[in-house]
Parts: sequence; structure tokens; C-alpha cells
Amino acid sequence: MTGGEATQIDSDSVGCGRFGRDDLEMLAIAQSDPSAPVVDGIVEHLPKCPACCAVVDRIVADNAFLHELARAASRASDSRAAIARLEAQREDLAASGGPISGYRLGAEIHRGAQGAVFRAEQIATRRVCAVKMLLGGRFAGDRELIRFEREVEVVARLRHPAIVTLYESGVSRDGEPWFAMELVEGERLDDFVRAHFSPPRQVAQLLRQIADGIAYAHRRGVIHRDLKPGNIVVDAEGVPRVLDFGLARLQGGDAPAEVNSATTMAGEFVGTFAYAAPEQLAGDPGAVDSRCDLYALGVVFYQCLVGRRPFEGARSIAELVAQKTGSVPTRPSALNGAIDGDLDVITLRLLAADPARRYVTADALVEDLERFLDGRPILAREDSMAYVVRKTLRRHWIASSAAAALMATILISGVALAFAYANAQRQRVRSERTLASFRDAVGSVNPEASSGSASLSVEQFLELIEANSANELSSEPAVLAGVRDTIGIVHLGFEDAPRAERALSQALDERRRLYANGECSREEVAESLHNMGRVCILQRKLTEAEAFYREALAVRSDVFGERDPRTMLTARHLASCLRRENRLDEALALYDALEVRALDQSGYPALDLAAIRNGRAFIYQSRGELPRALSDFEDALDAIRGQLASDDYRVGRSLFNIASTQERLSMPVESLQNATQALEILRKRKGGDAATVVDVEKLIARLRSLPSIDPSVGPN
Amino acid sequence: MDIDRTTTALLTGLFDPRNAAAWEAFDRRYRPILIGFARNCGAKDVDAAEVAQETIVRFVEEYRAGKYDRNRGRLGAWLVTIARYRLLDSRRRAGTARIERAESAMVDLDDERSLGASYEAERRQALLREALDEMRTRSRTDPKTIKAFEMLVYHGLAPQVVAEQLEMSTHDVYLAKSRVAAKLREIVLRLESEYEEAPGDWDESGPRPSDGIHS
Repeated sequence: MTGGEATQIDSDSVGCGRFGRDDLEMLAIAQSDPSAPVVDGIVEHLPKCPACCAVVDRIVADNAFLHELARAASRASDSRAAIARLEAQREDLAASGGPISGYRLGAEIHRGAQGAVFRAEQIATRRVCAVKMLLGGRFAGDRELIRFEREVEVVARLRHPAIVTLYESGVSRDGEPWFAMELVEGERLDDFVRAHFSPPRQVAQLLRQIADGIAYAHRRGVIHRDLKPGNIVVDAEGVPRVLDFGLARLQGGDAPAEVNSATTMAGEFVGTFAYAAPEQLAGDPGAVDSRCDLYALGVVFYQCLVGRRPFEGARSIAELVAQKTGSVPTRPSALNGAIDGDLDVITLRLLAADPARRYVTADALVEDLERFLDGRPILAREDSMAYVVRKTLRRHWIASSAAAALMATILISGVALAFAYANAQRQRVRSERTLASFRDAVGSVNPEASSGSASLSVEQFLELIEANSANELSSEPAVLAGVRDTIGIVHLGFEDAPRAERALSQALDERRRLYANGECSREEVAESLHNMGRVCILQRKLTEAEAFYREALAVRSDVFGERDPRTMLTARHLASCLRRENRLDEALALYDALEVRALDQSGYPALDLAAIRNGRAFIYQSRGELPRALSDFEDALDAIRGQLASDDYRVGRSLFNIASTQERLSMPVESLQNATQALEILRKRKGGDAATVVDVEKLIARLRSLPSIDPSVGPN
Repeated sequence: MDIDRTTTALLTGLFDPRNAAAWEAFDRRYRPILIGFARNCGAKDVDAAEVAQETIVRFVEEYRAGKYDRNRGRLGAWLVTIARYRLLDSRRRAGTARIERAESAMVDLDDERSLGASYEAERRQALLREALDEMRTRSRTDPKTIKAFEMLVYHGLAPQVVAEQLEMSTHDVYLAKSRVAAKLREIVLRLESEYEEAPGDWDESGPRPSDGIHS
């Protein structure tokens, strides 16, 4: 388009000025439609007048261009099949009177980008309901129409108390699609929580109901993708309902990977960026799955608990993504002292930037919320540990499968060791769950798919776990302390005192700090104190060990009572410590008291009773009261024989204790018999008990040199 | 020309998965074209929308993986090739060789030239729609002029009726039409240069099946 042509078109005089614009327009039309009336003389004039000819040519070109344009514009609002369906239904509806057949529309309740919601009454049933209509009707764009139909399809398949119920759908007389749904009269979730000053527990109850609805939707393959307080209404009875499935996606089957259409529409998504998971914001379609809803629930939950969203103040999407992926939100309990540490864990678990760190399913979230509400231990803490193990294993896998199997055994026995003390209900649930999680974690790693060093030692492996834990569990200090405690115990099992001390003292310091803030229990502090006692024994720091044991004993007696196996365990360790300190009377008194308590309990573990008798026997031995010592050693052996395999190393050690006492009691024949059996058992145990094996061999050598003994008896 | 809107700028932005604006702009530009194209090939509304969705996602994946080189072929040709396989898949899934429409109305999926022409027609229509949109929302054209134009062109009202309703002469109604047509031409020309996708030779093709497009 040139400036000159524009000037000519815009001027009042057209062409040479003999004919008006209307006349030339009609002539242009007549070129394609000969029936169009034209003014006299113009047809003859045109070939002689280049000015008028140019104008007519221009009008013809304009008309063709505008015709093309009109066709393009009508295509935009022409979703052909949908429109055809609408047309057919329109005829049926035409006679029905109101815009929607069978319904009387009332006041408008809500108007959004997509459509308007009206209060309505179903005439036949007098049922009050809400009717949502797509604005723009037949002229709405393809996307709006498809989205609206999608919402109808999605909501129609959901029947759940926490999800709004759809009654029926259709097309209005004006060609506008609509659907009727249950009318939920109430308040937006955030307004409700604010207005009712809902305490954290009530918020958790609300979230449990919402999560239950979302879990149900997920099981039916529906991902909401736009969860936010505005889409959750709490009704007059305090029941929350999830609304607006307009952005929902159907998952499963052959459903293709679909980009979150929200991210494709400028302007529409802005309001909900704050609730979108980082992977949604990143526009990575493959990463968008049901865990996006869990993230959104995390934001909603956080907001309801503390009155603000976890990430605020971002000035751009990029900044918001950076916040969401680069930082851990402040723990809710730090902002509201009434919030329980378990709710911190649940919320932060939902808000994990990495989807793999969130709950696996909404059902898992429901279970944890139920556990929290019932006062049972939540599972998220244990999963955190398993996650760290799994991640560590994936990063640093051991090439050979034999090494892998060995590692799994070490790991599981380490964890089993850590939880061997856990007998109370709470701890038992936790330890069983933890063991299961650890097994899953180890089992889920495929050595063939990974590469790494074949020479990763147990120490290195545990260090990796520790390093990863510090990183991954920074937002869950109570879990981190538990992991450090476990690692310390595994080091203890390998008699690696420096590493054990480092891990266990960190765990103790952390638990003391958490306890002061009300974020961990006294029991957990006592557990750490007890374990520190064990490290000190290994290091022969007896005074320190005694102090740790005494503090642990005081707490455990107070919390669990004196007869609790955990309390008795600490008491037994204290008695052993006193014995090593050569405070034999005190030790003996403690052992006696323990034996009485043990015998009073029908279910007291035989192995623990054996340990009490062994400890006491050593005291008798030191004092030279050998018959008493022998009697206790023999009782101990009887106790463990029923519990352990006949070739267990503990049976071997017990036999050696008996043999050495018998030697001193001048019972060489019996002594040699027991010592020979002990050697046979202890030799089978590779590595571990070399010192005891040497002691047994020396004993046997001494016995054989006695004149009363036939040197041919016993091992060579 | 708005340099940030050119196809080159858009493709550069698309490399970064976190650049939501580039994704939005790309999607806004090509999704309607692909939906229309799929419809021309016989897909029903919802299937067409799915084909467009899959095509865009697949293109962006391949583009980010470095498989699409602009020097090797036009963007449209590449999109058409991806969409063609998606359409074949969609037909297979539906279990029908032909979809319930008059076959004469459908573009033959084996005919590259008619596929190209169909895409080109959709692209042109999308461009015109965008021009219209811009004229309505961003141009400084007098609203009464636009109103007259719409009544005349969209609603097919007679110039006399338009003149009467808007209290203007038929001369002014025609003038309004001419002014708007001029403005629209101007916008279309600018958009064509921004999109750098003037109609071209459709024999330059997109990816072949051996490129791993078809899964």
C-alpha cells in the first residue's frame, strides 16, 4: 500500500469525479454479479477513464481480500462438528422458552474468563443448582469449546463428596453450551480458614477431605491442574468441594502427552502461577503429571496454615521458577508456633521442587494426614530416609551384583541394628516401615543400568549417604538426625569409633536442639544419649560413657518406666560400664535388680536375660566366686540355645566363658570339651572374632599340657 | 517490524524450556493452523486438536534436540510432516481408514503438494485472523469505521442498512470499508515479513520417517 493510493481512497472525490463512490462500488460488484444495478453511462465511461478504472480495480481487489478475510474469521469460531451438533440441538430447544430448556435461570453467581455461572432451578424437580455457560456460545474459539466439553466429560465421571457433582449438560437456544451442577454455597477455602481462625488441625482435616477427592480423581485418570483456594469452596457444613475442572487432563490409556494448556494461553495462567509446580512453569509437557496437583495442594495447605503462600514477591515467571526450584520455603511451624512438626514435613514434602520427592500419590498424602490426625507416626519421614538411600545408590552404584547384594545385606542389617531397640508400638511401626522402605530403595536400583566404582567401601558408602542426607533433608532436621543416628550405629557395628562418634554426636546435638524447640521427642534424645554411651565404651572413655548412660536411663525410666526393655537395656549397659570401671558392687546390684525385673516379665527376651547373667558372671569371675560365675554362664547358655542356631558365634563365646571358668575350677575334662566346641563354632565366623579364637586356642593348649588330659583329645 | 515476534526470534527463545513466553507465542501462532490443517485432512474437532497438540509438542522436542535445521527446510514443511504421521496414527487409533466425511473434501495424506497447499491456506487464514485481531484491538482506526466495516463484511448487511443504523452516508460506509481494507493489507504485509514464511516451494520437505519422527 502506497501513501498515494491511501490519499486517493480517503478523499471525497473518487476517480475523475464524474461518478460517486457508491456508483463505482456497484460497478465493482457487477463484475462478479451481473444482476447488480449500475448507474447509467458508467459502463461506457470506464474504458475511457484510467482514474475511475483504477478505483474500480482497487475496489474489486479489496472485495476479494475482504471476502477471504471474512471466511478466515468465520473459520476461527467454527468448530465444525461441535457447531453442527449445536445446530441440531438448537432446533429442539427453540420452542422451550428460556435460554436453557427445563431450567429457570436466576442471578449470576460468578463470571470468569471461560464462562458465567448462574443460580438456577430445574423446573421439573424444583432442584436448585448452578448452571455454567460458555460465554460467546457458538462464536467461542475452538480452545474454549473443547475445554468446556472437556470439563463436562471430566466432571461427569467423578462422584465424590469433595468434588462438585454434575447433573446434566446441553446447549442453550443461543447455541451456548452449558452444564448444570450441584450448587455449593459457601466460602472460598482461604476465606473460610481466615474467617473461622481455623487451627492447624482443622486445616489438616479440610486438606484430608480435599486430598481424598483429588486422590479419587487421580485414580480415575483425572488431573485437575488448576487447584487453588478459589477453586475450592467450603459449604455451610464445613465440607470442602473442588470445582472448575476446565483445565483438567485425562490421563492413562492412549491419552497423548498434553502440554498444560494453561501455559499456552497468555493472560489466563497468570492468576495461578503461584500454585503451579516448577515443572509446569518450565513448560516441560512430559513432566506434568498428577504430582502437579500435589504441589498445588502444598501451596494451598501452606497458605491456609500460615496465611501466606510459600513463595511470594517474585516479579516474573523466571524469578518464581528460580524461587520454587532453588530454595526451600520457611517451615510453617517457624511462622506459626501452633503447627506440629509433622505438618511441616507433610507440607514441605508436597512443595518439593523435584516431583520424585513429593508423595507418590494423593492416596499417600491422605494416609499421612490420617496418621497425623490419629496421632500415629507419619510415613513421610521414613520415606525421606529411603529416598536418600535410593538416590545415593543410583549415583554411586557398585558395578558387581555380588557387591550389590553384600551392600544390601550390610545396609539392611545396619538399619535392623539401629532399630533393634525399638519395641514400643510407635517405634515398631516406624522401624518396620523403614526397613521396608530401605529394602525397596535397595531393590529398586538396577546395577546393570548403572556404572560406578566397584570398590566403594562401606565407610565411603555411608559417607555418601550422610552427605546426601545433609543436602536432601535440610528441611527435615528431625529425619536427618535419625539418619545420622542410624549411620553412627552402622559404624559402631564395624567398630569404627571415630566415624561413629562423629555421626552420633551430631545426631545428639541436633536432637537436643530440636527437643528444645519442641520438634523432637525426649525418647529420641535418650536414644542418642544411649548410643553415645556405646561409642564411649568402644573408645574406653568409661567416665563419659557412664554419664551418657545415666542421663539416657533417667529419661527412659521417666518416659517408658523401669520395666520397659529400652530402659532395661540402658541399665544393663550402665552395669557393664560400672563393671569395667571396677565398681563391682554397684554393677552387681544393678544386674541383680535387672534379673528380678526380667524374671517378673513373662515375655522378656531370653537373649537380654542371658546378657544380664553373662555380665553378672564376669563380676563373680573377677571376685573369684567361680561356682556362681559358672552357674550364671551356664544359665546364659541355656537361655540363648533356645533362641540361636547351634553354631551361632554367641553360642561359641558362651561355651568359651564356661570353659575358662571350668579351667579355673579344675574341671579340665569338661573345660576341654566346651573349649573344643567353642573353637569349632568360632572358627567358622570369618574375620570378626580372631582375638577370641586365639584365646580359645591358648586355653586348649594349656589344657592339653595338663598331665591328666590325654593329648589326643580335642582338635589338632 | 517487531523483531521479538519474528519466527527466528521465536525459535531462538524456544530452545530454553523455561522461556514460557516463547512457548506461548509459538503455540498461539501454530496451534490454530495445525487444527485447521488436521480438519482439512478429515480429523474431527477433538482429534484435530489432539493432532495439533502432539505435533507442537513433538516439534519442540525435536527442535530442542537439534533435529530441525531451518536451512534444511521450511518450518511449515517440517510441521506438516510431523502432523501427517500424527494424523495417520490418529486414524489407526480410531480404527478407520477414512473418517466419516466426503472423501472429496479431504486432503490426501499421501499427496505432499496438496498437504502443503492445505497448510498454506490455513497459515494464510491464521495470518488474516491475526491481522483482523490487531486491527480491532491495537490499531487507531475509528471504532465507527470498524463497526461499519464489520456490519458490511461479516454480517453481510446492505450498505444502505449499515448507513441507516450508523447514521452515515453509503459513501462513508464504502469509505470505511476501503480504509479498513487498506489498514488490514498493511498489517498483513508486516506480519508476513515478521513470520518470514512467504509461500514457497513445497518440494523442500521436512523430516523423513527414517529421522525417527514416526514412533
